[in-house]
Amino acid sequence: MNQAVISCLHANLPAVEAVLKDIELQGITNITCLGDLVGYGPQPNEVIELIRDKKIPTCQGCWDEDVVDGLDACDCSYPSQLAEKRGHFAHQWTTDKLTKENKDYLANLPYSIRKDKCLFVHGSPNSQHEYLLPDMDAFAALERVENARAEILFCGHTHQPYIRELADGSIAVKIKNAAPKDIQEKEIQLPMRRIVNAGSVGEPRHGGTKATYVVHNEVTNEVKIREVEYDLELTCKAIIDAGLPPIFAWRLKNGFEFAEQAEDASHVCER
Amino acid sequence: MIERWALVSGLKGDLDTYELIQKDLKKTPGNITLFVLGDMIGPEKNCNRLLHRLINPKSNDLQPWCIYGWWEEQILLESGYRGDQRAEALRINKGEEVVKSLTNAVDKSFLDWIAALQFGFVELDCGLIHGSSKDIGENLTLDTPPLTLLDRLTRLQVNRLFTARSKEQFHLELTEGTVNSEVEDLNGNRKKEQKVPQKAVIGIGAGKNYTLYDVGTDNTQFVQAGYKSEKRIKGFGML
Repeated sequence: MNQAVISCLHANLPAVEAVLKDIELQGITNITCLGDLVGYGPQPNEVIELIRDKKIPTCQGCWDEDVVDGLDACDCSYPSQLAEKRGHFAHQWTTDKLTKENKDYLANLPYSIRKDKCLFVHGSPNSQHEYLLPDMDAFAALERVENARAEILFCGHTHQPYIRELADGSIAVKIKNAAPKDIQEKEIQLPMRRIVNAGSVGEPRHGGTKATYVVHNEVTNEVKIREVEYDLELTCKAIIDAGLPPIFAWRLKNGFEFAEQAEDASHVCER
Repeated sequence: MIERWALVSGLKGDLDTYELIQKDLKKTPGNITLFVLGDMIGPEKNCNRLLHRLINPKSNDLQPWCIYGWWEEQILLESGYRGDQRAEALRINKGEEVVKSLTNAVDKSFLDWIAALQFGFVELDCGLIHGSSKDIGENLTLDTPPLTLLDRLTRLQVNRLFTARSKEQFHLELTEGTVNSEVEDLNGNRKKEQKVPQKAVIGIGAGKNYTLYDVGTDNTQFVQAGYKSEKRIKGFGML
């Protein structure tokens, strides 16, 4: 049986509709969403209502949290102060736009969803804001899955889809400076674990413009990354019409990871 | 001159123990740096005299380098230094009386000093913290899974992690290991074998039980204040 995992919808309704259509065409009814329903994009209420109508189980993303709780998180992931200003503008725009009902919905989303051996989170089991990048330290990545007592960790947040398998691991330890009877050496075998990043439906940052998500076969454990075309022009026009920063549309249209290079590489968050 | 660190924690207002440690250290050969890894305060006794001594060392005292610990975090929470949060975990687990005892044990004039303390120090390739790099309240012990220990070392990007929260004294080395990583993304597949670098986690003890660390040889010595240390490592001098 296949399940689809979607993430980082970012208020991009045409992209969400196209991905849900693609999932439907494959006959998949089991869908989990990893949050960030809003932010950057022009249709936050519409996207939330679509997910709610379809009763898709959803975790709370970092944007969902910030829109509800205020900007209390560190935003150092912005590549520049200008990008941070735009992000804050989009945050305020989204906050003003959202209905109370939809804000309440976001406020009540769970941090994680567990289904048997699978754990679904937005960023990492530690935080909606932690990035599990594909090439992060392998032991640290394994620790995130293992300490969450999962076999497969589904995450998003990076907007870059990937499947990472961590296998054949071991760590040898030695107790030093103990009484002779207590001195021990042992080798601990580490379990095989996987991290699956679902990419982004509404704001891809993998170098292309297509929406991405993943399909997991619960029997064979096979995971496939799916790329879906959608009406990009429609979203870009809606961004401009909504008065959001035009650079958000330009970034989507070009499939760029960031809108610009860091202008102030020395920027240090002091929050 | 041999460079040594004395690592102390969990004094919880006990000036007598602190004086005993200072006395020990005066007799310890080498160039000693004294680190106090938190829990200088606690609810059991009045902590003002110890805090005053830490802030204003006597002329012949070793200068203490202090960080905050779990009990300091609780009083800062309860005193409004962490925004709207209060010491709810303490209140739930130990009760209102302990919260009151803690706030009564420390004069408010010391709170700004406590609030200015750091979470930890990074000296050479060593991290000196109270709990772990994840949480000030995390107990790292010999029973902590090595994967977790390695993660806590990696978070601080250090090779040695000195921790106090568990109150235990231990020196656990991560000697070797590997993990194979295979990533598949839209650009294809890539495989990598990652090895465990040689690292260690050291529990420094609490109260009278403290640790001496020889920076040059990477040897630890577990000491009880007022007693001769147990000589366990060849070549490491007795007190």
